Parts: sequence; structure tokens; C-alpha cells
Amino acid sequence: MRFFRFLLLSGWACAFAVRADLPDFQAFPATGQQLLLWVASERGRTEPELQAAQQLAAQGVEVWSLDLVNAYFLPQLPGSMDAVPLQELADWLRAAQASGKRVIVVAVARAAAPVLRAAALLEPAERQRLCVMLMYPNLYTVAEPLAAPDYLDPGTLTGLSVRVLQPRRSAATPWLPGLLDHLARHGATVSQGMLENLREGYWARETPTEFEIAESRRMDAMLLRELNTWGCK
Amino acid sequence: MKRLLTTCVMSLLLASGAQAAGFEARAATPAPELKAQDLAGAPKTLADYRGKVVLLNFWASWCPPCLREMPSMERLRVKMAGQPLTIVALDSAETPDEVNAYLSRMKLGFPILLDPDGSNTKRWNVFALPTTFLLDARGRVRYVLTGPTEWDEGEALGVIESLLAELPAAAK
Repeated sequence: MRFFRFLLLSGWACAFAVRADLPDFQAFPATGQQLLLWVASERGRTEPELQAAQQLAAQGVEVWSLDLVNAYFLPQLPGSMDAVPLQELADWLRAAQASGKRVIVVAVARAAAPVLRAAALLEPAERQRLCVMLMYPNLYTVAEPLAAPDYLDPGTLTGLSVRVLQPRRSAATPWLPGLLDHLARHGATVSQGMLENLREGYWARETPTEFEIAESRRMDAMLLRELNTWGCK
Repeated sequence: MKRLLTTCVMSLLLASGAQAAGFEARAATPAPELKAQDLAGAPKTLADYRGKVVLLNFWASWCPPCLREMPSMERLRVKMAGQPLTIVALDSAETPDEVNAYLSRMKLGFPILLDPDGSNTKRWNVFALPTTFLLDARGRVRYVLTGPTEWDEGEALGVIESLLAELPAAAK
């Protein structure tokens, strides 16, 4: 009996230890078969993103919302994304896949960097089951005027499905083909979706247009539409 | 007292250093090719501006910092009238309709060029807007600025005047 209690306690302690190694995230449970992992940008999680997560959950898509700068007490800077513990992020992806649901990661801006690198740490079979949607990813190591861009090495992405959502009104839009080529060279299966009449981070702009305000209220519909177009269901 | 004076001098040096960091001096490299059209559809290249100092500004109508600095570029044009200086604003990857919608609200006296497919933006390796290149009269890139500024005053005006000062008196 005492041994049995010890076994139970050990199991509980181990489970806690595993949980403690995962980044702190906010869950929006739902009963559907899709689990969307929403990784906010280096500027942190915003209110419209939380609203979209609630709206998605109400439509049956479970959402786990992760704010990396908050979870790891990092400054709100692009460079902070290089300090994210990749193994913990990879374990988070595995924990999501352990739910048995179809896992789709949405990473915003520079958060694309740790998400791709964590995906590269997965076993090939695990990576094959993962879909990653990158919203205006910033994967530059060097981007200086008059010099060719240099992109960071995300590691091996073989088997990974990646869709880039690019707001049309962005200085990065002309560079999208080069970015997609770079991801494809690392083994990813790439596609793109263009968000017309929108700017980067349109849901959190200081001076949004009427259209951007309206679109930030229906981000859930945009993401569901993109998921359907993409076929990563 | 001596410590206070040293602190003041250091602060001034740091402040001037931070200001100077805006413009990046380049070692007179030949400019990339510019192949664009103006709003009337006429083709334009850098050869059209040879012999003049050129302020080439990459912008877009959706970019608030770009629009913020536009009035100062217009004031610069007026202030430098008669000088061998050409201001050219190249809109990056937008349609003529989008550009014209902005220009109907903001009257500008310098030429606006179009780059609807972003090919010039890529050839000049522009990754952020606004980005501005200052070319000398021989068509060489001498300064680069990423981000907005007030073009008719301070460091910006000083840099432009220094390029104009290189020209022989006959060209002015």
C-alpha cells in the first residue's frame, strides 16, 4: 500500500516536472479536432489576439496562446527570440501533438525563428504531422540597404508544411519569393497567402485604417479561411 | 566642477554621435540601376538626373513615417530651388491608383516614380520604408538613411549641402 502511494506520488511529481519545463501558455479549450498554437510576436500578446482565440474556441478550434517574451521574461525586442529555450518549445509542440488533435502553429513576426528551429528539433515523423503558419515572418540575420539579404538557418525542416501569410502593405512583400525559396531549401513544403490592404500587425497599429479595425475583429475567420485554402486540416 | 564639465562635454559628444548615426556614409559606390516610370508613364533612369545631387527616397502611401517626412522634402525642394539638386520619391510596390489617392491630398512639386512590381526595391535592397539614398553628381551612392527625418534642417540639410559643395561653381 505504501509502495503504491509512493508510485502515485512519484508519477504526480514527474508529471509536474514535465509540465514545469513547458512555457507558460493560456489555453482556450474546445472539443474540435484542431489545436492551434498561437505564438505572439516579439512585441508580446495583444488583446485582439486573445479575442480571436476565444472566437476560434467557440467554433471548435482549441487554442493555446503563447507569449514568449512574457513566458521567459524577455525584453520586447526581435533579438529576444534568439534567447527562447528551443528544447522547451519543441516539448510544447510534442505536448500539443500528444492531444491527438491536428496541430497548427501560428507564429507572428520574429517568433517564426524559434518556432521553426523548435520544429527542426522534432523527429521527422513528428514534423510531418505539424503545420506552421507564419505571419509576416522576420527571418533576416542581415538586412542592410544595397546588400543582399541574409536569412537565419532554421535547421532541417523536411516534411514540415509552412504557409506564409503576408500583408500586402509591407516592405517585406517584394522579398517574399526569396523567403519562400529559403524555407524550401531547408526542406519545408511552402505556400503563401496574401492579406490584401493590410499592414504588419494590423490588429495593434497606433493609427489603424477602418479596414484594419474591421479585419482585426475577424481574425478568426481569416485564419479558418486560410486553413481551409491551405488544406492543413 | 571639473567632473561636471567633463560630464557635460561627454553628454554633448554622445548626443552629437547619436545624431550622426542616422546617416550612413558610403564609400562612393556606383548606384544600382533605376528603371521606373513616372505618373505619366514616361520611363526614368538615373541618367535623367546625371550632373545633379540626387535624393532618392523609397516610400509607400501606407507607411506613416514616409508620409510624415514628405512635407519636409517639399520644403527642401523650395529652399534649394535653383541648386543642382533633384528629389525623387519612388513608391514601392503599389498601384498608380493608391499613389494618386495620396497625391490628391498632398501636393508635391518633386517627381514621383512608380515601382509597382517592387523590382527597384529589390535591386536597391530596400528592406524598410522609408529608405533614402543620397547620390553625388556622378551617380554614386554617398549616404543612406533608413527611417524618416526632417529634410530641410539639421544633419540632413548639412549632408546635402556638403554634396552640393563638391560641385564646381559652374554647375551651381
